[in-house]
Amino acid sequence: MKIKSLVKNLSRFHYWLAGLSIIMVIGVIGALIVFAKGLVVTNLTDLVPWGLWITIDLSAIALSAGAFTLCAAVYLVGLKEYQPVARTATFIGIIGYSMAMLCLLMDIGRPDRFWHAFVFWNVHSVLWEVTMCVGLYFIVLTLETLPIIGGADWFKERWPKLSDWLTKVHHYAPYLAIAGLFLSMLHQSSLGATYGVLKARPLWYSPSLSVLFMFSAIVGGISLTVLASMLAARLSEKANVDDRLLEKLSHFIGWALVVYLYFRFWYTFSMTYTYELGRTEGLSLLTKGPLAFNFWLGEIILGALVPMIILLKKDWRARPWLRMAALALVVGGLVAYRWDVNLSGQMVILTYLHDEINAIYTSYMPNLIEVMVGAGVVAFGLMAFTLGVQYLKVVNYASDEHPIEHMIDPVLAPGD
Amino acid sequence: MAEKKDTIGPLGRREFLKVVLGGGAAVASVQIAQRVSASKPEGSSPHKWAMVIDQGKCVGCGYCTNACRAHNDINPDISWNRVIESGEVNGEKTYVARPCMQCEHAPCVDVCPVTASYYRADDIVMMDYDRCIGCRYCEVACPYNARAFNWEAFTGENPAVPEWGVPEVERRPRGVVEKCSFCYHRIDRGIAQGLTPGVDTDATPACVVACPVGGRVFGDLNDPESEVSQILATRITHRLRDDLGTEPRVYYICPENTHTLEA
Repeated sequence: MKIKSLVKNLSRFHYWLAGLSIIMVIGVIGALIVFAKGLVVTNLTDLVPWGLWITIDLSAIALSAGAFTLCAAVYLVGLKEYQPVARTATFIGIIGYSMAMLCLLMDIGRPDRFWHAFVFWNVHSVLWEVTMCVGLYFIVLTLETLPIIGGADWFKERWPKLSDWLTKVHHYAPYLAIAGLFLSMLHQSSLGATYGVLKARPLWYSPSLSVLFMFSAIVGGISLTVLASMLAARLSEKANVDDRLLEKLSHFIGWALVVYLYFRFWYTFSMTYTYELGRTEGLSLLTKGPLAFNFWLGEIILGALVPMIILLKKDWRARPWLRMAALALVVGGLVAYRWDVNLSGQMVILTYLHDEINAIYTSYMPNLIEVMVGAGVVAFGLMAFTLGVQYLKVVNYASDEHPIEHMIDPVLAPGD
Repeated sequence: MAEKKDTIGPLGRREFLKVVLGGGAAVASVQIAQRVSASKPEGSSPHKWAMVIDQGKCVGCGYCTNACRAHNDINPDISWNRVIESGEVNGEKTYVARPCMQCEHAPCVDVCPVTASYYRADDIVMMDYDRCIGCRYCEVACPYNARAFNWEAFTGENPAVPEWGVPEVERRPRGVVEKCSFCYHRIDRGIAQGLTPGVDTDATPACVVACPVGGRVFGDLNDPESEVSQILATRITHRLRDDLGTEPRVYYICPENTHTLEA
């Protein structure tokens, strides 16, 4: 009986891995074509130089925000019971940042110079700050992941000494949580500011983008963590969860969506007053133009409103599949938001002739090569998470291997 | 380990924090102190170059674009200097010729994550093609579309050569953003030979030299006797998207504007 179920399980698992591998190979083929011929093989232009890959990059970073949020909740605020969720979130985080860096390597014209920002500083550039923070935070995530790898049974058996070393890194978890919080708050906001500081693009030019990027990342990041945990627990025998925790987090996401919609409403609503060249045109692209479907359905109704109601209503939230659907909608809504922000600002261009400054429109659709590479990167992420669930037990609330040994001093943990 | 709650490795917890934070802060502050002024030019120059383009004279022939392509060895798909139809005055078509505006407050310099865009001592906005990573943030930030990305390698012959001139700078590699440099190499070479940019053709940007109707004037804003200074003092001129605060150093005389400031 045991063998039977194992075989059944293995085959499903193998089909899944085989499918992902094929998509990854397709992605690698796309990448090789880009490296051989240059970015000319994409649909990107001098007018719309940032497209699908930047959207995946932004989304992957945003959806990794569960890591810093939950680590801060566990190690700084003192919500110890969420430690296993933070562990899953950390693993999702390191995958997300790897995906983002892969996308960026594809997107920049000179991937061989990816390290330049670390050496040639421009402290005025928000993109420089983002690059530094992403690089440093990746180190933090790596350190946070080492104990997960070292704690795996097969690792312990093979390299007991190394395992011991790696697990010891966990002692630094509170400090890593501080570093993660600091770096993430900086670059999650700055990714919004990357767009928000550009005066030449009236639709973007606003301090609100930093706040919205930060907040949507927290909501989306926790949503993905809960969704991935619930899915893993249902699809893999290696995963088990405490649904009480996930249910509570989902409830929190419901309320966070209320706050997010509040910010989002006032940000968008205030832009409808008075005509401003470029900004008004950009807004109408979103609300009634080619991006309207994405905006109303993808971002607002399905991406925030519907999941908000599901997650706030107790009986609906209690149904696992309905809850998972709601969380998936939040994740989809975040991706739609990143896509819309990135494109809406680039699709309106202001002419610079002094007799007449006009708004003109451009368009962009990713081509096959961009989709191939993008799908490959996403497949890589799914593959990494699947392997993590199977071999590193990243979704495992039963293990009590790493009890929290020291909380941070109660400066940040009132009443603890 | 559970019994040694207050120590981490050989260091105490507080010591560890102090070392990490203190060390990090020290390194960062030294770096930042060095770099805060990095995008400001090092050294100083007595010159401040500017260009005046007279739209009343421009006939839209595109000689400037061709000369620019030859002298700077530019891919025929790319224009550092575009000539754009801008309307009609008294039944005649008018044009805007648009090089890089050489902004005093250049958005591209502000946003570049690797300082590949920077100000030279004479305030020319330069590109370091060995440093550019090709992220294209500058393209998104520039209000004038003055920048072009090398989507593919430019190999083979330059169709503008030799008819419009011979290349004076190195061809850019695939994957970097490029733009007009006010022909800095001609300025530098000319000054080294004792010539005056804007007066002697060998020291003046190729587009200015190529213009068959004398529609472009180049010179030093710091020299009150230079032709650009004289024009700016006597004629009504304006700059593109002045509202953005970029302070371009390319000035335009409008086609219908034949008045002087005194008139």
